[in-house]
Amino acid sequence: MNDFVIADTGKCIGCRTCEIACVLAHQSSPDLAALTPENFMARLSLVQTAMVTVPIQCHQCEDAPCVKACVRGALKQGDHVVEIHEEACIGCKACMLACPYGAIEIRMDQETNKVRVVKCDLCKSKKAGPACIRVCPTKALKKVQHEDFFKQISNRRKHAAGFMQG
Amino acid sequence: MGNKVKTICPYCASGCEILLTVENGEIICAEPGQGRNNQGELCLKGYYGWDFLKNNKHITARVTKPMIRRVRGAEFEEVSWAEAIAFAAMRLQAVKKQYGPDSIMCTGAARGPGNEANYVMQKFARAAVGTNNIDHCARVCHGSSVSGLELSLGNGAMSNSIPEIEDTKCVFIFGYNPAVTHPIVARRILKAKDKGATIITADPRFSEQAKISDLWLPLKNGTNMALVNAMAYVLLTENLYKKDYVENYTEGFAAYAKIVMEYSPESVEALVGISAKDIRTAARMYAAASSATILWGMGVTQFGQAVDVVQGLASLALLTGNLGRPNVGVGPVRGQNNVQGSCDMGALPNVFPGYQSVEDEMLRKKFEKAWGVKLPKKRGVCLTEVPHLARKGKIKAYYIFGEDPVQSDPDANGIRKALTAMDLVIVQDIFMNKTALYADVILPATSWGEHEGVYSAADRGFQKFNKAIEPKGDVKPDWEIIALMATAMGYPMQYKNTEEIWDELRSLCPLYAGASYKKLDELGCVQWPCLDEADEGTSYLYEGNVFNRPNGKGLLFAAVYRKPKEMPDTDYPFILSTVREVGHYSVRTMTGNCNALRILSDEPGYIQMNNQDLSRLGIKDQELVWVASRRGKIIARILSTERVNRGAVYMTYHWWIGACNDLTIEHLDPISKTPELKYCAVNIEVIVDQAAAENYVVAQYSALKKKMGC
Repeated sequence: MNDFVIADTGKCIGCRTCEIACVLAHQSSPDLAALTPENFMARLSLVQTAMVTVPIQCHQCEDAPCVKACVRGALKQGDHVVEIHEEACIGCKACMLACPYGAIEIRMDQETNKVRVVKCDLCKSKKAGPACIRVCPTKALKKVQHEDFFKQISNRRKHAAGFMQG
Repeated sequence: MGNKVKTICPYCASGCEILLTVENGEIICAEPGQGRNNQGELCLKGYYGWDFLKNNKHITARVTKPMIRRVRGAEFEEVSWAEAIAFAAMRLQAVKKQYGPDSIMCTGAARGPGNEANYVMQKFARAAVGTNNIDHCARVCHGSSVSGLELSLGNGAMSNSIPEIEDTKCVFIFGYNPAVTHPIVARRILKAKDKGATIITADPRFSEQAKISDLWLPLKNGTNMALVNAMAYVLLTENLYKKDYVENYTEGFAAYAKIVMEYSPESVEALVGISAKDIRTAARMYAAASSATILWGMGVTQFGQAVDVVQGLASLALLTGNLGRPNVGVGPVRGQNNVQGSCDMGALPNVFPGYQSVEDEMLRKKFEKAWGVKLPKKRGVCLTEVPHLARKGKIKAYYIFGEDPVQSDPDANGIRKALTAMDLVIVQDIFMNKTALYADVILPATSWGEHEGVYSAADRGFQKFNKAIEPKGDVKPDWEIIALMATAMGYPMQYKNTEEIWDELRSLCPLYAGASYKKLDELGCVQWPCLDEADEGTSYLYEGNVFNRPNGKGLLFAAVYRKPKEMPDTDYPFILSTVREVGHYSVRTMTGNCNALRILSDEPGYIQMNNQDLSRLGIKDQELVWVASRRGKIIARILSTERVNRGAVYMTYHWWIGACNDLTIEHLDPISKTPELKYCAVNIEVIVDQAAAENYVVAQYSALKKKMGC
């Protein structure tokens, strides 16, 4: 099973600290000066509707529509994550059409003139883990780890059984 | 790895501790420290709000040389410090000689400079100029809280500390949007909710707080007093108040009850726009909690009737005994990082530092002795009275320290006229700004990050902030500049460092006497009152239910509801209320020059408007519109939302092109002189040619930047 980042809608206050942290974590240097409106590509995106405030990002689906849609293998099932192989991407945008969450975007990097696949990669290359989680001031974001997920379900089942003692 | 410098965030008054990593004399990143209020968390301004120090020139440029203008309308000329000070002091002396000291107005600065610089500035006004005409932007924001709480409880500050919020059992949030203004306080409210607290939010908009509330009271704009009175009515008539508390620790009950009894929830339903049932529920929830905290912001204070509402809220706390103990109280959460501090330092027209009245002869004698000069006994004028008095020829010179009234104060056109009418305008700042365009002298100061001192957080917490990098350019710390000015004016002032200033302050203010630099270094944060060496500060005020009023009792006070000054009509059918945006701060000279923050949100700025109102007018989300009031007209971008009420529009004063203060009204609360920035009438005009409007915005922005030296 894949890991994924998810936000608690009850805790998110819509401050967008996560978006900046995400962009900086995916730049070659974490230098604020290197940011431009063009290269500012957050992999999670704050949404405010009438009732809900929450960042939306990739769910790392098990049977991922984006992976299936990609004819070039630029998106692949990897080590508990839907992996991005940017060098293979031709920018056909099939993944953007396929993703039901709107969590993937294909953008042109104007500096390098290369295609960028903008999707949560769980900050796999970072020792400190996902940057968005680290900076969230209300701890609204968390990474659901595959191993914890089953532990949690198992605990809940035990808890539920407790109610059945009669 | 670079050197890590511990300091305090320069943005809101949550007082978050920040660690700045410095490499080769440059800041490279910010991370949270384990401060008392922030506990290892920061918001986006804390993390990514320091790179304005690099003089990015996105919106305006740092002032790096003293500048003067010998003739109005001429170009500024860069001069030496000696020449700038001599010129400014000579001109100020001339005004003083011709029109008297009370024709001169000075401001404190609620932002980067720190407490010591504010102490020196008010001393300059009082001792070197000889006037109590010193005030600052607290007048425009929480002035009403200070006045109202001083009248009701005897102390204008938050009664309890920010960390206590999470242990209260009921948070009543009134006209306050901490998710945007103080994310680190919003975090405490979430923690309180996690621990089982009931949350009530009174706000016309469905804010992030409303979202997590047990009860949301979407009151109609400008009806605060009626709602507060109706809640009091429920407490009294349903016997939900603490009779023994009222009897032992308060006064004024009979007069209070007489007014409140005119406001049954049923009778105000239509006016307030909330069902009597919900008003009753709110009062019952607040009264039922074993501890309850009221937090408020500009939604209470920026009205023509604001002090009354503050007193009304304080009365709810008094009725229910929610004062004088931990995890309760009244919380006017101050906006700018050191607006509490500039009040603490006496950058106010009626008090010396430490809230000591200028009209009290004993206290005045104490300051006269310490400062070696006769001091004026008459209280000075308020900041918001200056435009009017300047246009009438009563205020002739204005020494503006770290403020930009053309951007931040109501009716910008009125302010521009006032600045033009004056003989002399001195601006002391870190950036060029809209007000500096009208200056005769610009004195460039060091910024947060380039100097040290003490800030006061919103909850009376003194914390030391430190220098991280060397300033670039020919700039000086604010207190040094003011001391040079004082000396040139014939009142020699000399300090070695900020600690020497701080120690002079402590020697004159019993409230702060024990808060030495040494203690601040050891404890990190000390909340005043801190009376002596052994005192570690005061988390909550009014212990033992003793209030700082002549007889020690809290005052129950209610007032009859007054409607706002300028109601919507057929020509101007929408209510304009000014609000804030989370990624920007104040007049935006700082955050507008921070790369990440300006990418998230940039000119011309947004006007939030209800989606149904928009479809009726045929306007789409993100389109540009003209917004007009009786005082001005500006262009802004539509943010369509279901979260704001119909009939009202909301803009933030951060934007320089979509400048809402070109529209707002100079109508003041009669006691605090705080302007009614939450209510005036505007019209929304559709723009057919959107492409031309976009070009207009681009042209305006680049013209503005050019004026600002970018």
